[in-house]
Amino acid sequence: MRPASLWADAWRRLRRNRVAVACGAFLALLALLCAAAGWLPGLPDPNAPDFALGAAAPSWRHWFGTDPLGRDLLARILFGGRISLLVALVATLVSLVIGVSYGALAGYAGGKLDEAMMRFVDVLYSLPYLFLVILLLVFFSKSLIMLFVALGLVQWLTMSRIVRGQVLSLKQQTFVEAARALGARDRRIVFAHLVPNTLGPVIVYATLTIPAVMLQEAFLSFLGLGVQPPDASWGVLVDEGRKLMTIFPWLVVFPGLALAATLFALNFLGDGLRDALDPQSRGEAR
Amino acid sequence: MRARPAALALALIASATALAGCGRGASAPPGRGAPRYFGSLHPPAGQVFRFNNGAEPEHLDPALASGQPDGRITRALFEGLVVSDPRTLEPAPGHAYRWEISTDGRDYTFHLRPGLVWSDRAPLTARDFEWSWKRVLDPATGSRYAGLLFPVANAEAYNSGRLADADAVGIRASDDSTLVVRLADPTPHFLHLAALYTCLPVPRHAVERYGDRWTQPENIVGNGPFLLRRWEARARLVLERNPTYWDAAAVRLERVVAYSVDDAATSTNLYKAGMLDWSPSGYIPSQYLPYMRGYADFRSAPQQTVYFYSINVTRAPLDDVWVRRALTYALDRETLARRVLRGTRPAWGRFAPGGYPGYEPPPEIAYDPARARECLSRAGYPGGQGFPKIEILINTSDDRRRVAEAVQAMWKQTLGIPVGVTNLEWATYLDATAKLKYQVAVRNWIGDYPDPSTFLNCYRSGDGNNRTGWSSGPYDRLLAAAQGEGDPAARLRLLSRAEAILLDEAPVIPVYQFVTHELVKPYVRGLYATPLDYHPLKSVWIDHGGATGANAAARGAP
Amino acid sequence: MISYAVRRALLMIPTLWVIATLTFCLVRLAPGGPFQSERDIPPAARAALTAKYGLDRPLPEQYATFLRRAAVLDLGPSYSNPTREVRDLILGSAGVSFELGGWALLVALLVGLPLGALAAYRQNTFTDHAAMAAALLGVSIPNFVLGPLLVLLFSLTLLWLPPALWTSPASRVLPVLTLAAVYVAYVARLTRGGMLETLRQDYVRTARAKGLGEGRVVMRHAFRLGVLPVVSFLGPAAARVVTGSLVVEQVFAIPGLGRHLVNGAFNRDYTLVLGVVLFYAVILLVLNLLVDLAYAWLDPRVELA
Repeated sequence: MRPASLWADAWRRLRRNRVAVACGAFLALLALLCAAAGWLPGLPDPNAPDFALGAAAPSWRHWFGTDPLGRDLLARILFGGRISLLVALVATLVSLVIGVSYGALAGYAGGKLDEAMMRFVDVLYSLPYLFLVILLLVFFSKSLIMLFVALGLVQWLTMSRIVRGQVLSLKQQTFVEAARALGARDRRIVFAHLVPNTLGPVIVYATLTIPAVMLQEAFLSFLGLGVQPPDASWGVLVDEGRKLMTIFPWLVVFPGLALAATLFALNFLGDGLRDALDPQSRGEAR
Repeated sequence: MRARPAALALALIASATALAGCGRGASAPPGRGAPRYFGSLHPPAGQVFRFNNGAEPEHLDPALASGQPDGRITRALFEGLVVSDPRTLEPAPGHAYRWEISTDGRDYTFHLRPGLVWSDRAPLTARDFEWSWKRVLDPATGSRYAGLLFPVANAEAYNSGRLADADAVGIRASDDSTLVVRLADPTPHFLHLAALYTCLPVPRHAVERYGDRWTQPENIVGNGPFLLRRWEARARLVLERNPTYWDAAAVRLERVVAYSVDDAATSTNLYKAGMLDWSPSGYIPSQYLPYMRGYADFRSAPQQTVYFYSINVTRAPLDDVWVRRALTYALDRETLARRVLRGTRPAWGRFAPGGYPGYEPPPEIAYDPARARECLSRAGYPGGQGFPKIEILINTSDDRRRVAEAVQAMWKQTLGIPVGVTNLEWATYLDATAKLKYQVAVRNWIGDYPDPSTFLNCYRSGDGNNRTGWSSGPYDRLLAAAQGEGDPAARLRLLSRAEAILLDEAPVIPVYQFVTHELVKPYVRGLYATPLDYHPLKSVWIDHGGATGANAAARGAP
Repeated sequence: MISYAVRRALLMIPTLWVIATLTFCLVRLAPGGPFQSERDIPPAARAALTAKYGLDRPLPEQYATFLRRAAVLDLGPSYSNPTREVRDLILGSAGVSFELGGWALLVALLVGLPLGALAAYRQNTFTDHAAMAAALLGVSIPNFVLGPLLVLLFSLTLLWLPPALWTSPASRVLPVLTLAAVYVAYVARLTRGGMLETLRQDYVRTARAKGLGEGRVVMRHAFRLGVLPVVSFLGPAAARVVTGSLVVEQVFAIPGLGRHLVNGAFNRDYTLVLGVVLFYAVILLVLNLLVDLAYAWLDPRVELA
């Protein structure tokens, strides 16, 4: 009988976790709606203004209401979701891959190499972000790639710190010694043994940073990178909406709910993933 | 069970929204006929006036000051020969009690009051004014507003370095209490210039002793109604009554606290909570404006500031005047003002704002979509075919984004051309406009003195404020002729003809005129709405009796 | 441990030098300069200002002057406010930022740690989900929405607290809560994640088997190591929170370091930006050192080389 691999086992366990599955389904549905927004029947053009209407409260014609230029908010949220979800996904993946590898290597290496690598992280962290972005805009043309670069620049830094911290304490454990005794090479130890054990905090941190990434994208759009008017991402919608919060609350509530719902779903899905991947987890508290 | 936390969150957000709605709804009037006030009505104890000065002041040195945050404080700490009447802004005697103007309008003789002193009791003479004005013109000082004194003979030559001798400039103190000024051209608004903060005197002994730090509270010496007691960076400035001021008896306020709050929503909240007595123009979020009209403490008056789009005429396709005309005619200002801005600001189809006495402006540009399309065809792009994409450059402040999106939609709809909107942060945006690295850019221009030349002079060839690359010989000649014209009516006619050229060739597309929007507590007296948004603090006082006594019921109303 | 700490402290100097150099280049390369405005400056004035601040000298010379002065902590006058020295501005607002950040972190820890520990302990029960949902609220409502919402509720409607400024003790409540909200979420979630790992470890099972009281098991054994991810997160988080949250300072008009940085960046006030960045870097490096030392203390297996 072949022993079940870690991943197959994890997948099976994940499927049994009802909350995680529900959240995953929600996210998939949301992504699908946003991607297919252009083809949804009855959905108005998100950028078509209706000056006579102005900002209107939710009604049968406009389920989420309209913004001050008369543009349908539901349409704007769905179209905005494309860029927000894409940005969040890619930026988080990038920061995960870079941050986890970097942090794990630093923690495992220890000593002078670890110190040098962490100092490099400190330097990058201290530099004023605004100027980094402005210079990206000056030297490279505005594009989606630049947006991901700008977003990824800082996200991986704290991730690497967290992973390094975990690895520092994990690498003394017996399973590492055992692996080494069995002749496993360092790289295998790091990626096949240590990293999976750090996944708990990594997943937690990654899911928490997704709304931060979305809001950071709004900041970048303010600087000239990211979506430009009349397109808007969720972060931009929330930012524009909060200025009108006391008068037209739906302008901040609905984009805010979209952001919050995505975050909640991601977090519970992340928890489910973590539980599924944890080799010792049995889902019991004691 | 799983759904509960999510539902809990949703409930919290929904109730917060409801409260948000409540917050506005709760400001319903207490009873018909009673005036509604925006915020609480507790006057501060004593004669203390608290207001929001906006951004942190950069300079309190009158020669270097620029902008309202600098200007308001500087004008409280120093006083010039001439002051502005708090209601009409007409020139009134300040440190000079009397002046004579020669018949050709070029010579001004100012007579100072006797016994004037600085706050450290050093005597204040006409020589201080001469020294201060020449200091403004001295290129080494680096004054941004030296241009205001260019009507003075040889002033421009001295400031640009062509003339090395300051004595050749037409400012001379003939004795301790007389200042004689000779102008190069008759300038009817010269007295208004003399009242501006750049022309305030500075104490030579303090400046020479303390150098750059002479405006620090421990070093500063002034001659105005107030003294600078404390200056906490990015927090507030505290001013106190100056006992050595010549008109100290007329100053009723004991203390003035000027906060440095640069966020409009925060400033409005502070006013509402009763921590500010006055929130000046520019510090009410524009989206609140349509709802403020019913409040008795909200005040609005036309302001001499224009919001417009500047066009870079050095780049195709905008170098073609027909394209520019097409863009101008395709802009529906009325709809913008009424719908997008919700009637808070009037549409404006001319460049110089309205309200200059005796000035007959050229006909304004009206919205004419048919004519716009015709102009575009004439330029070679019938129906918008073949027209390259143009970008409107904005920086995201307040409602610039909304207006730009509306304009973008209008141009797309009416002309069928592709238009994009680019958003940049402030310094990059300024750099782009100054270096002509844009196609269409949003701008606004604030008038310095009540005359159309403060707007029209910007578009002379090569002027630093032009920023469009546009140049017109006839326009320059008309402005030069106006400068030398002695008859005020003829002069204004020349300016009007110049403005007509500007509107016709459309290097700028005016959109709307600004209006001041401020909140003033009813117990504040002596503060009036003025078109240049200037409010001398000397005349302000707190009325502890009077109107607020009757509003015990309104106290605590949101 | 001492020698390690000393070595790290000495290592700060070359790190700071790198940061200073890179920031110097970054701010100089950005378009625009310190003396721009909507209104043009006459050429004579511009020349005078540029010469006065040495901005017309060749870049390497400017850099050398900057380094020389920075070494003796002379950061020059602020370009947007030349009557003040950058050093004085920073020291003046540092106190405010430290206080704001300190309270926020304290609240975040006091609320987040127990919340996360409780959730981990009662994994997958209603308590777990409720605690996590509450924590998540902090990060799902952006602070530029939360701040104004709190002001609307507590200042303008209930009239309990002032809406802005940093004056009375009451004025500190809302900004601290707004700032802490996000960190509560991180701390709670990371603690829960960390403790889920440790509660299953062999040594915890051993401790229970030995008959140790449950409280002791959780607190001394599971918690101590479970909190490690929070500790590593705390380094940069503390640095960021004590050197000013830009949004909170803006919304509540607090004269902290964040506003200096933002205004300095937008006005291209080179000296102020450099000063704040260096100050921030020092704090970050010191905090990271403390965090690393804390690891070694919390987890005896960790060797710090």
